[in-house]
Amino acid sequence: MYRYDEFDAAFVRQRVAQFRDQVARRLSGELTEDEFKPLRLKNGVYLQLHAYMLRIAIPYGTMSARQLRKLAHIARTYDRGFGHFTTRQNLQFNWPKLSDIPDILAELAEVEMHAIQTSGNNVRNVTADHFAGATAEEVADPRPYAEIVRQWSSLHPEFSFLPRKFKIGITASEHDRSAIKTHDIGLHLKRLAGGGLGFAVWVGGGQGRTPYLAQLIRDALPEADLLSYIEAILRVYNLHGRRDNIHKARIKILVNSIGLQAFRSEVEAEWARIKDGVLKLPAQEIARIEAYFAPPQFATRPPPAALRPADRSFDRWVTRNTHAHKQPGYAIVTISLKPIGGIPGDASAAQMDTIADIAQRFSCDEVRVSHEQNLVLPHVRLGDLWSVYQELKAIGLAEANAGLVTDIIACPGLDYCALANARSIPIAQRLSARLAPRQDLVGDLKIKISGCINACGHHHVGAIGILGVEKRGEEHYQLLLGGSGTEAAALASITGPGFGPDGIIDAVEKVVDTYLRLRAGPQEAFLAAYARLGAEPFKEAIYAST
Amino acid sequence: MSKASGHVQVLTANRLSDGAVVFLNFDGDWVATLAGVVIARSPDEVRGLSARGLFDAGRNLVVDPYLVEMREVAGALLPIRQRERVRLEGPSILDDVPGYTAPAASGVGVNAGGNREAACGDRGRRAEAA
Repeated sequence: MYRYDEFDAAFVRQRVAQFRDQVARRLSGELTEDEFKPLRLKNGVYLQLHAYMLRIAIPYGTMSARQLRKLAHIARTYDRGFGHFTTRQNLQFNWPKLSDIPDILAELAEVEMHAIQTSGNNVRNVTADHFAGATAEEVADPRPYAEIVRQWSSLHPEFSFLPRKFKIGITASEHDRSAIKTHDIGLHLKRLAGGGLGFAVWVGGGQGRTPYLAQLIRDALPEADLLSYIEAILRVYNLHGRRDNIHKARIKILVNSIGLQAFRSEVEAEWARIKDGVLKLPAQEIARIEAYFAPPQFATRPPPAALRPADRSFDRWVTRNTHAHKQPGYAIVTISLKPIGGIPGDASAAQMDTIADIAQRFSCDEVRVSHEQNLVLPHVRLGDLWSVYQELKAIGLAEANAGLVTDIIACPGLDYCALANARSIPIAQRLSARLAPRQDLVGDLKIKISGCINACGHHHVGAIGILGVEKRGEEHYQLLLGGSGTEAAALASITGPGFGPDGIIDAVEKVVDTYLRLRAGPQEAFLAAYARLGAEPFKEAIYAST
Repeated sequence: MSKASGHVQVLTANRLSDGAVVFLNFDGDWVATLAGVVIARSPDEVRGLSARGLFDAGRNLVVDPYLVEMREVAGALLPIRQRERVRLEGPSILDDVPGYTAPAASGVGVNAGGNREAACGDRGRRAEAA
C-alpha cells in the first residue's frame, strides 16, 4: 500500500491548515459564500439538502485497517454514526458541521487520507479494479499506475480549473470491474506485442444527461508514455472543452461533437510535442511505486482439508461472495453492503471497526471499496473463510448476494442530495425486499438507481436501470433495460412511460418475471436473454395493464 | 403572487455553521420548523421575503436562501414539491441507517434579532406548524 513520503505529509498538513483558516474566515463573515464555495469544493465539502457533506477520497479503493478505523472514529465523533460508500470508491459523511471539518481533515491526515479533489472541476479520485493485486485475471497490479496518475494530477496547476470534473478509471483484467468505458479516460493495462506493459486508452465516456461510452483512442500506449499521453488529452480538452454550458462541458461532448478522429489528431499532435519530455516515466520510478504495492507475504502452508462445517448459508456465501485469488489457498471476499431491505453502501461505525479488525487479522491488513458500493477483503486464506463469515454474520453483513438482483447500486437520491429529483434508497430497499426470495433463481442481474439525471447511481449501465425524475412536484421513475458497465459495456434504453414509486417496483418485478419465463435456461443471464429477445416482450409485460 | 391559487411562500435556507435546514419565523429568527414561519401571499410580500433572505445571507447567518411554495391544509403548511417535503421532514430512511445516531437536542434558531425592523415578512401572518 502506498505510504506518504515527507512531501505528501507536509502537503496534506499544509492543506488542512489552509482550510482551517478558510473555514474560520467564512464563519466570521470575512469570506462570502461566493468566495468560500470554490474553496470548500476543492476540499470535498458540499452543501446538501439537510447538511454539509464531506466526501473523502479512498485512492483506487484501497485502504488499511487503520484508515478504516479512522473513518469509523470520525463517523462516531463528528457525524451521526455511519458513512456511505459511493460508486467512485469514496466515502461520504452526510452530517458534518462546517466548523468540525478542519478537525476531521486533520484526523484524516494522521492516517494519510484527505478529501482533496473529491469535488470541483479537476481530476477526481482515480478508481481501479477492486480485485487489483489479488485476481489472477490481471496482467499486473493496476494500482501503481493509478497512484502515479494520482500524484501527477493532484493540484496540477494546468488542470485545476478544467471545463468540468474529470474521472479516470483503470483495470488490468479483460473482465472490466472498473467500468472504464463510463469514464472520461479509461485505462486498460495489458501486455503489448513486444512483451512490455502498456495501455489501451479509452476516452470520452460518461453518464449524466448525455451518456456516451468511451471510444478507443490508442490501443497500445507504452507504460512509459502514460502521463504524457494523458496530459495531451487533458490539454486538448482544457483548450477546446466548452465552458459556456455546464451540460456540454464534459470531454464526452467534445469528443463526440468534433469526432474521435479529429480529437485524436489534436491529441497525437500535442503528444508528439511532449512525449519525450519530463513526463516520460522512467522504469525505476514505476518500480519505486510498484514496491509500495508488493504482494503481502502469503502463507505457504496448505489449507486445512476441511474448510468449513456443513452449513448451507455459508456455502451460498462462499459461492456468491468469494472470488478466485492468484495465490493458491487464498480467496477474495466481497462484503456485501446490501443486506436485504437495507441501504446500499451504508456502514455503521461499529461495522467499520469490525471489518477493520477482520481485515487486520484475516486479509493482510487491507480493505477495498468497490464501485458497486461493497467492501472487499482481498487476501483471505481459505481456512479463514468460516471465521470471516461468522464475524460478518454477527454484524449483519454476511448476505450472500454479490452480483445478484439484490446487490443494487443506488445514489443517495433525494433523501440527501440537493440535486436529486426523487429518492433512490427507498426504491432500492423495496426492490431488495421484493426480489430477495427469488434472487438465487434469478442469478446475476444488476439493478442501478439514480435519483436524477446526473446518474451517480449508474442507471445508464444497469441491466435494469431506474432514473428518478420530478413530475408535477412528485417523484416519478423511468425504467431502462439492457445496460452494462463491463467490458461489454452498453447503454440501457428507456422502456417507455415512467411510473410512480409503487409502479416502478411492480414494473421491475414484471421484467424479472418475464426474464425467468423466457430465458433459455438458468445459464442464460439476463443480458443475454435481453439481447436475444429484444425489448418487446419486456415492454408488453410492463405495460400490459397500464 | 404565488403561482397557484391558495398557495403561499415561505423563506428557507441552510444554516451557515452546520448546513441545517431553517425557515424564517415571525420573530425574525431562522428556525428548524414551520411553527410561526412568515408566509408571503402578495407580490410585495414575496419580494420583501426574498430580500430578507439575501440580507441574512449577506450577514452570514444562512446560505442559499430561497422561497418555497406551500399550500395551506387545515391551517397547516404543506410544501407543494416532494423535494421540499423531504427537505422539511429529513431523510425518509433514517430508521434503516445502520448505526444512525440522532443528534442531541439543541437550540436550532439563528437569532436574527436586532434587525427585526428589516424583517419584511412581518407583513405576512403567523402560520401553524405543518
